[in-house]
Amino acid sequence: MTSPDLTSHQHTSPNLPRSSPAPQDASRSRWSTHSIAFRLIAVVLAVELVSSVLVILLSLGYERHTHFHAFDVMLHGRADSVLGAVQDAEDAADNVMLDEADLHLPADDLWEVWDERGHLLGRSPNWQGSGQGYTPEASDGFSKLTLGGHDFRLLREHGSRIVDPGEPGGGTLRHVTVLYGAPTSHVRRAIRRAVEFYAAGSLILLLVTGPLIAWLLHRGLLPLRQLAALASRVSVDSWQFDPPASARTTRELAPLTHAMESVLAGLEKAFVQQRTFVSDAAHELKTAVAVVKSSLQLVALKPRSPAEYEAGLDRALADTARLEDLVAKMLTLARVEGGIATASAATTPAACDLAASLRQTVSDLATVAELRRVRVNLHAPQAPCLVPLPAEDALLLASNLLLNALQHSPADASVLLRLSVESGSALLTVEDHGEGISPDVLPHVFDRFYRGDPSRTRSTGGAGLGLAICRAIVEKASGTVAIASQPGVGTTVTVRLPLAAPPADSPPPSA
Amino acid sequence: MRVLLVEDEVRLADNLAAALRDGPGFAVDWAADGEAGDDFARNGVYDLVILDLMLPRLDGLSLLKRLRARADSTPVLILTAKEGKQPIIQLLNAGADDYLPKPFDLGELLARAKALIRRGKGAAHPMLRALDIELNTLEQSVRRAGTLVDLSPTEYRILEYLIHNPRKIVSKRELLEHLYDYNWEHHSNVIEAHVSNLRKKLEADLPSAPPVIETMRGRGYRLAAEAEQPLDLT
Repeated sequence: MTSPDLTSHQHTSPNLPRSSPAPQDASRSRWSTHSIAFRLIAVVLAVELVSSVLVILLSLGYERHTHFHAFDVMLHGRADSVLGAVQDAEDAADNVMLDEADLHLPADDLWEVWDERGHLLGRSPNWQGSGQGYTPEASDGFSKLTLGGHDFRLLREHGSRIVDPGEPGGGTLRHVTVLYGAPTSHVRRAIRRAVEFYAAGSLILLLVTGPLIAWLLHRGLLPLRQLAALASRVSVDSWQFDPPASARTTRELAPLTHAMESVLAGLEKAFVQQRTFVSDAAHELKTAVAVVKSSLQLVALKPRSPAEYEAGLDRALADTARLEDLVAKMLTLARVEGGIATASAATTPAACDLAASLRQTVSDLATVAELRRVRVNLHAPQAPCLVPLPAEDALLLASNLLLNALQHSPADASVLLRLSVESGSALLTVEDHGEGISPDVLPHVFDRFYRGDPSRTRSTGGAGLGLAICRAIVEKASGTVAIASQPGVGTTVTVRLPLAAPPADSPPPSA
Repeated sequence: MRVLLVEDEVRLADNLAAALRDGPGFAVDWAADGEAGDDFARNGVYDLVILDLMLPRLDGLSLLKRLRARADSTPVLILTAKEGKQPIIQLLNAGADDYLPKPFDLGELLARAKALIRRGKGAAHPMLRALDIELNTLEQSVRRAGTLVDLSPTEYRILEYLIHNPRKIVSKRELLEHLYDYNWEHHSNVIEAHVSNLRKKLEADLPSAPPVIETMRGRGYRLAAEAEQPLDLT
């Protein structure tokens, strides 16, 4: 497990959140310290190791205790049997003696017996003696002794014997001291063997469970790896992200999976929209350029009269003006739409008076209306109607809507502009009495570059961006725009915008 | 030759139609959307279809597929503003004969249109030959036995059409359909007058030469066969 890779890899910088790890890196980082699997395995093994050591230490203590306890009991027993061999010497002085004939003790053991007068009653043949003699002041207990390279545990025991208990006066009480020792080597060996058994067991357990845990963790982390593999396949060209069922049902991965899905779906939508816009814009621009180019080449196709040249140049100039208008509208749309992200942030949008913008638009477009012989009626309150739009955008919105209505109005018709304040929002309706829009076209009129019936819009020269710009402006200000139409009767565009706080008030509320 | 132009951009269509009429002298019909283009194409009188891809009501690719589905083999030249190779491969596989990306060069468009019409008639070279007549489709000039014959545009177009269809009886109606667009009044006696003038001009310097255009009474005209001429004379 501690491969040389591990140490060498630690020197690399911890730049984990890489967008696309190289394949050969993947196998290396599997065992790097940044790997979750590695860390989990390391932690589990460390815990196992610590537990094993604890088990060994506990068993050592326990085995020591039980073995030495048994040993001590045995020593007591043997010392008692030595004491039992102290007998009446049957002499006049009522001395005691040791009857060794009845003693059957292990040859390795050491023992000696002293009486209260300091006489050595008996001693094991393999011992020179403790040299202590009769020690009534010393209490009973154990001590250690090393003899001939062997460790002995020595028990001191005091005993007494009554000589001639049948005599009057209860006989004579004689005290003796017994020292009994036995070698501890085999006890220690037994303890060591027991501990060795536990240690070996722990080691085997560690060796078996280590790989098992590694395998189980590897298996357990499979959903994560699958998710990562699928996520790494997502690219700008391929948005396909189909998370495995395991990633969805795993409690820890489900939030991540959902987040990735929603982010990818949103990104893809935005990306496709952008791509469609670029493609549509390219188509429109190329067509407009093709018109200009063909107009000029048509003039140059063959020698012509000055009048023909003049007419040709006029046409080419008109075509160029249309191209210019298209470019300007596209830039406007890009500006308005591009501002959405920043406007929704902390910046507070500028406010302007929509009623004033409408009045200015109506006067600006009066000549256009006159040319088309269309009456324009404006119903707007005199009081300022503040909406969260820059004045420039409000004018653009008003003029686009009015121009659209004028273009679709027959001669001698009228266009009605109405502005009112309803339940905290500004409501603007632009009503024309033109030919109307068919129901299958209606849902698309706000799409960029969409032209309804070509025979109608072509004649007005629209680029199909006017209403798209209107929608972008309104949506930027968190408003809504809707269109309703009845073929043959007319069309009504309804714009609803939130009211902006008056600038004289306390600091404007952050959006 | 008669060309169907399917293009929704009015100004571009105007310019293309003007160039096709002024340059090679084609008759041009214009359709502003896919469905109208399909209706026009059903007449089966066109020698070339110039087709824009992005069209209202019916897009260019669908129109092309409809055309080929009813075994219409009219050459189709696609005008496209789309990027990328895939749409082009798709177009050619759907039966398009050629394509031009916008913005295109008007001269190139005319050259490709002429080449496609020529190919559609089975001629690879811009110089057409029949009997002792040489017809240069680039210069729109005609020589008979090496001598330049001065023809009016309509006379030239009648001769070009007949040479493109050798030994085929071409009716006055067919000539009308292929030489004039819908903006013209249709009168078969106009054709008769032009054919008569064409015959006179072709045979003016060579009174003893065999006739180039045969009249099949009640059926139409036919370009005379080369091998049969000496037999008829003797």
